Amino acid sequence: MSNTGKNPADFKDCPAESINYYGNKPSQQVEDREKGRKPTPRANKARELYFSAKSSTSMEFPYWYTRRWEELDGEIPVIRRAESLKAGFEHLTPVIYPGELLSMGKASYLRSSYPMPWLSEAFFMASEDKLYQEALESGKLTADTFTTVGKGGGNVTKSAGKVISIAGKFGLRLEEMPVMLEVAKKWKDRSVDDIGHKYEQMVPGYKEKEAIMRSVICMFDSGYTLPQGREVMNYYYPLQYGIDGIIRICEEGINEVAGYPEMDRLYFYKAVIIMLRGIKSWIRNYAEEARFLASVEKEEQQKAEYLEMAGILDHISSDPPRNFHEALQMLWTFHVAVLNEDAISGLSPGRVGQVLFPFWKRDMDKGIIDRAKTIELLECMRIKFTEIDCFASMGVVGGVLSGNTFNNLALGGLTKDGISAANELEMLILETGISCETPQPTLSVLYDEKLPEEFLLKGIECTKAGAGYPAWVNNQVAMEFLLNNYGHEGMQLEEARAWAIGGCLESSPGSWMPLNLDGEIYWIPGGSAPATSVGVHFISLPKVLETVIFDGVDMRTGERIFPSHGYKLETYDELWQGFRDYFSRAVHVLTLTNNIQHDAWRKISPSLVNSMLKPDCLEKGRDLGQMGARFNTTFNIESCGNTTLVNSLASMKKNIYDDKNFSLEDYRKAILDNFGYHTAQETGSYSLVDQKPAEHFTEYRKIHRQSLDAPKFGNDDLYVDAIFKQWEDWFCEMTHNYRSLYDQPMYACQISVSTHGPMGAVTLASPDGRLSGTTFSDGSVSAYPGTDKHGPYALFNSATCWNHSQSQNSQLNMKIHPSVVRGREGSRKFLELIRSYMRKGGFHVQFNIVDSRMLKEAQADPDKFRSLLVRVAGFTQYWVELGKQIQDEVIARTEYEEL
Amino acid sequence: MNTCADCKFYLPVDVFKGMCKLSKQDILPDDSFCDKAEKIAKCKFCTKYTAEKDFLGKCMSTTLAYPDMNAASCADFEWISQN
Repeated sequence: MSNTGKNPADFKDCPAESINYYGNKPSQQVEDREKGRKPTPRANKARELYFSAKSSTSMEFPYWYTRRWEELDGEIPVIRRAESLKAGFEHLTPVIYPGELLSMGKASYLRSSYPMPWLSEAFFMASEDKLYQEALESGKLTADTFTTVGKGGGNVTKSAGKVISIAGKFGLRLEEMPVMLEVAKKWKDRSVDDIGHKYEQMVPGYKEKEAIMRSVICMFDSGYTLPQGREVMNYYYPLQYGIDGIIRICEEGINEVAGYPEMDRLYFYKAVIIMLRGIKSWIRNYAEEARFLASVEKEEQQKAEYLEMAGILDHISSDPPRNFHEALQMLWTFHVAVLNEDAISGLSPGRVGQVLFPFWKRDMDKGIIDRAKTIELLECMRIKFTEIDCFASMGVVGGVLSGNTFNNLALGGLTKDGISAANELEMLILETGISCETPQPTLSVLYDEKLPEEFLLKGIECTKAGAGYPAWVNNQVAMEFLLNNYGHEGMQLEEARAWAIGGCLESSPGSWMPLNLDGEIYWIPGGSAPATSVGVHFISLPKVLETVIFDGVDMRTGERIFPSHGYKLETYDELWQGFRDYFSRAVHVLTLTNNIQHDAWRKISPSLVNSMLKPDCLEKGRDLGQMGARFNTTFNIESCGNTTLVNSLASMKKNIYDDKNFSLEDYRKAILDNFGYHTAQETGSYSLVDQKPAEHFTEYRKIHRQSLDAPKFGNDDLYVDAIFKQWEDWFCEMTHNYRSLYDQPMYACQISVSTHGPMGAVTLASPDGRLSGTTFSDGSVSAYPGTDKHGPYALFNSATCWNHSQSQNSQLNMKIHPSVVRGREGSRKFLELIRSYMRKGGFHVQFNIVDSRMLKEAQADPDKFRSLLVRVAGFTQYWVELGKQIQDEVIARTEYEEL
Repeated sequence: MNTCADCKFYLPVDVFKGMCKLSKQDILPDDSFCDKAEKIAKCKFCTKYTAEKDFLGKCMSTTLAYPDMNAASCADFEWISQN
């Protein structure tokens, strides 16, 4: 009974199914996207091979890495690390597939990855193993148990025959299983995870951190899971100097620093030389394999291509590239090399079209290459990036990444001197994004008013093709954020223009580097900071609110997470204060423990490949962990479930404090009883739309109805938008109170990636009417599915009720029916829509152009839809490789049928 | 018995399957050797490898090793004489 005194039977005319939101009424027929173009036969064949390939892991690299590590006990740590990396690289078996124009990969399968037990070893041990049990107890693996991974595509979801499934995704040959376990055990008490864990326990209040992890208020630790990534690559040094040239720079560095103070510089230079010699061997092993393949090849064109490949690889193993093809191969080789030194997601290639433009333009001018050949090469590049896998736990690879690796290629933006940076090569990159749809590299347009209409319309054409890219991000907003947060490190406007997206949506600093080609200087952009998204990773805002409502206890498990807050919650201000208190407690302890983990990482497993590439590590003689990069204010605090939180606060404010429809106790009871519904786990569906009422649901009809009817974010409604702004202003400001490992202030990062699935799975019903176990709102300024009822411009007004440059990002995901943007008129309307959002100060918007019923069909019959791509939250992924939590959420998103 | 996974012409696609570098045909790693097959250097074909238990052994009697590791780039690899 509610405190209004009305009997629930008064609401008997409200049928159960009407409690859910359905979004707009769809049109009669299921409509497909506007048909795109087909890839070249070469790329099509490569993509078909990719479709047939399963994610596979192997032990070559970790075996040799570990073996060398053990041999060098007592050596200077960074030298030991370099020798271990060298051993790994030089023993990798080269694999080259027929038809490839670009070669090299992470390991010896098409979709290769491998364990890195020097980072963390527990999660891939057998579940009965002591190491695994210890990790489970500490809360490190809780998120794994609530994550669903896609059942189709390239995921090896079950062990079968001589193949073992790991983390529900990776296949390992049975004959490599014993050595994997033996190698993993060698890292017990020596891995970044274990060393970090040993010392993080010294942080006062550490036990609270474990409880936070067990409750999945926080998704994962970044120090040993994904210590690098969410950053932009810099390819300048190998493109300008070649490997031998970099070795010479290091040798000169050694001559300058040997015996002088700050001796770490000596070891760094020596370590880079050792590591580069491993990379040289790796490249040459590929060249040798290409020659071997040519020797047994009967078909003349293929034989010639193998020999050409061998020549390219031989050349770039020592010298800088001579043409576009060699430059692209060099770029790819170093991209993979960085991926092989750490578990990494979000290693973005950045503004590739601008980096490679000087080589391409020169080749075009000389007639060495034409547009057709360029497209073929760029399509091959798309396939290679799509092959990237990241070996990580189920919680990370499924719950965060959805199997994706977030290699974001940025286009547009401004040049060093502030004019449009869009160029002809970028037009071709967009063209190949249409003709060869693949998840990687995903594309982002750095939108600026100075970009030419032709370029923007090409971007629209690509977005309309339906693969979910390019995303549209606001150049000026990002530059303002970067200047605000990196200005104290010396960033000026000119350098801010060199930025790009790192990972799915992290604004990352860049620098202009002077590429000298035939005596002419081209200022090319590249990343100049380490990982720009490490630190406190994904705090579940609705779960924090849940603990406030229940005075510090996780009612799902009964475990106390925080001490009693001591508030009676008699006013909205008390509720808001309670939220801020708990949120701040979580951020405090997580910041300190993560700093320790990252310190363990930089000492045990310092970056060498990435450090060598990033300015100014070579100049300073310091790796990234020693602040060798130009910019180091790179730690952040990430949120998840913004809109679910704000809608919940709005519902409580209205129903409890303003209108006094219900008491707090009514809400506690309704939440614990899931508003009289079965849980998502019971129904097997994770969107609100598909939940099923239990027998006693009528008891909660009124409170549920009025919770659902409370003001919802996304409708240009000041009541709830004011709460949203209050949250954003407080959150973005409070993050600066916390200091990173590098003693820099932290900043806010607001992307959900896939965490709104598993984090929703462990969260009870919320006061906005969302039911237990269902996903949270996606992104950070997306409306909760089905609740944005007043069209896209109302949504834009809500989303821009705060200043987006306060945060590293904001994320708005929209779903548009294909019929709305059809034809040239549709393109113009679509561009105006995006332009309108950018002009309001929105940072990011991305689209799924899809009929939801097609997604339903694909869920029911995945084999028919192997190539269907959808946009999730900052990334594009094959539908069949998404977990059901995320599939259900994408289906449920509001589908706009008019603009 | 030697299988395609032991052959220098085996090109692995994933843990389940591969293709023949000569014929370009799809093959499985556990298929039997054909008449064109040639062994690839692996620890299990090396004089310095000693088997100890299933899929584990020692290299030069001291270091952990496993029989199916590709040893083509190992400086210490030495074919067992009957091979």
